[in-house]
Amino acid sequence: MNESGKSLLQLESLHDRHPGLTASLSGTFYESASVCLNRHHESPVVMTIACNGRSSKKSVEFAKPDARVLNAWANDIDTTESGAYGVSLAAVEVEEHLVAVRRAETLTGADWYVAPIGTRSDDLETCIRLEVSGIDAGGRSAVETRLRQKIEQTKRGTSNLPAIASVVGFKEKAIAIEKVSDDK
Amino acid sequence: MTWAELHSQSERLAIEAHVALKSRDTRRALDLYRQAADFEARALTLVDPSKVRTRGITAVSAVALWFKAEEYGRAEQLAYSMLADSSIASFAVEELRNLVQAIWTEGSKLRAGVTFIPGQVMVSVKGGEVVTGGAPLDLIVDRVQTIQAMFYRTIEFLNGASHRRVGRPTRELQEACRPWLFQSAPGSYQFSVAIQKPVQPDFFKKDIQPEQIAQHFLEIVRASSGDDTGELERLVPDETYRGTFLKLARNLAPSGKAFERIEFRAAGEAHPVTLGVESRLSINQQLRKKSTPPTVTDEDQEEIRGILRALHLDKDWLEVVDANVTTRIVGLQDAVDDVIGPMVNRSVVVRAVRAGRNELKFLDIELAE
Repeated sequence: MNESGKSLLQLESLHDRHPGLTASLSGTFYESASVCLNRHHESPVVMTIACNGRSSKKSVEFAKPDARVLNAWANDIDTTESGAYGVSLAAVEVEEHLVAVRRAETLTGADWYVAPIGTRSDDLETCIRLEVSGIDAGGRSAVETRLRQKIEQTKRGTSNLPAIASVVGFKEKAIAIEKVSDDK
Repeated sequence: MTWAELHSQSERLAIEAHVALKSRDTRRALDLYRQAADFEARALTLVDPSKVRTRGITAVSAVALWFKAEEYGRAEQLAYSMLADSSIASFAVEELRNLVQAIWTEGSKLRAGVTFIPGQVMVSVKGGEVVTGGAPLDLIVDRVQTIQAMFYRTIEFLNGASHRRVGRPTRELQEACRPWLFQSAPGSYQFSVAIQKPVQPDFFKKDIQPEQIAQHFLEIVRASSGDDTGELERLVPDETYRGTFLKLARNLAPSGKAFERIEFRAAGEAHPVTLGVESRLSINQQLRKKSTPPTVTDEDQEEIRGILRALHLDKDWLEVVDANVTTRIVGLQDAVDDVIGPMVNRSVVVRAVRAGRNELKFLDIELAE
């Protein structure tokens, strides 16, 4: 628990808990998430997590980005996407006890695969694909709409892996997570 | 080494490549992607064929890494060998086909002898009169013109140019960032659009990353088609630009007669941005809120249908002809050339409000498909 009485959603050093992340990528996620949150809020901020029908509040601490960091993350779209990955991975860790174990490339980026903490990932047969989206300035309805879109896209998608969709609204301080399917 | 060990090496190198790309060290990124592809291709050979998901994901990952390393020949070769394998999972088959399509386009771009800004947009027009590989010419020409106009507008907006109401983009812009159309593998009616790279190295403002132009274009189309006006306001804070993007997006969207939807996606991206009939309705609602003064009620408004026969943006009027009756509408407000120009000699619907006995004031115009 922190001063605000809410348990923490820890964005920093994700690689210490998520075996699929490297220190440099974990740093990238933390920096970009800090830039996104700093656009609208002061640290610490309380975020609402709606996860598979449950709701909770978590306190998030982030460093105020300096000019170098802001300059490095000048591209809004990249920053929001990367920041959403950092926040989503931290959120599925505390809510679903899942951590990033594997990554596989796609043409335009990469898919992340999560698995229960402590799982050995000798293959991808039982891993869960994480579908992430970020919204910088939209309100709650935008977050909910984007989650519905993401779920529909994932259902229509070609992968037959179970998946989790996660949408982060940085201004709204909201994270919406939903399991898409057990198996298709 | 096992699949897990080789895949882990590939992951680590691919992450490093991604970070190098982020810091704009392209040469290092390509080298790292090449190494990552090599490890992933070796991992692929070790996957137990009974592990269908792992094998499919690894195959896609290996081809994508060769593609990102710009080793198009190796990417194509591996993709074909996987596609020829009847045991490969169906989800992987679809993703591999998308990759092959992207490889072909990259090959065409290389053969064109012109350098392009990284990133391109695949466009699919579907439903209605559209058949696999074919579509009514006017339908496609209209969309291509509008996509070109939106790309120019996106570049002008990102480059901080003031909003242009009349005329075409500057000759400098048209010559520096010429959009190219590439044929894509048929599936509904598909093509891709790539932007020629400006020769002048400082053509773009210092903080603009040219490779993000296609992504910005897609984000603007996505935000224009949604119900959430806040997202478009954030992407395009300038109200005049925002209005123009909305009108251009409406020109792209179907009314449902000639075609049912148009999809845009970054090359190889499985999830498109889609404009359907409902998008047109949503954009119309947004535009009505914007263009209708609060004092004007629905009863005050008139709808004039006919052929847009004359247009004078400088003198602020247009004329619609229907059954030899000409109606002049004045006060074109922020109507802009690239939105309204392509509608000349086409069937249109104009919304206007009667300002006096003989004067109709313009509110909005759209094509009557």
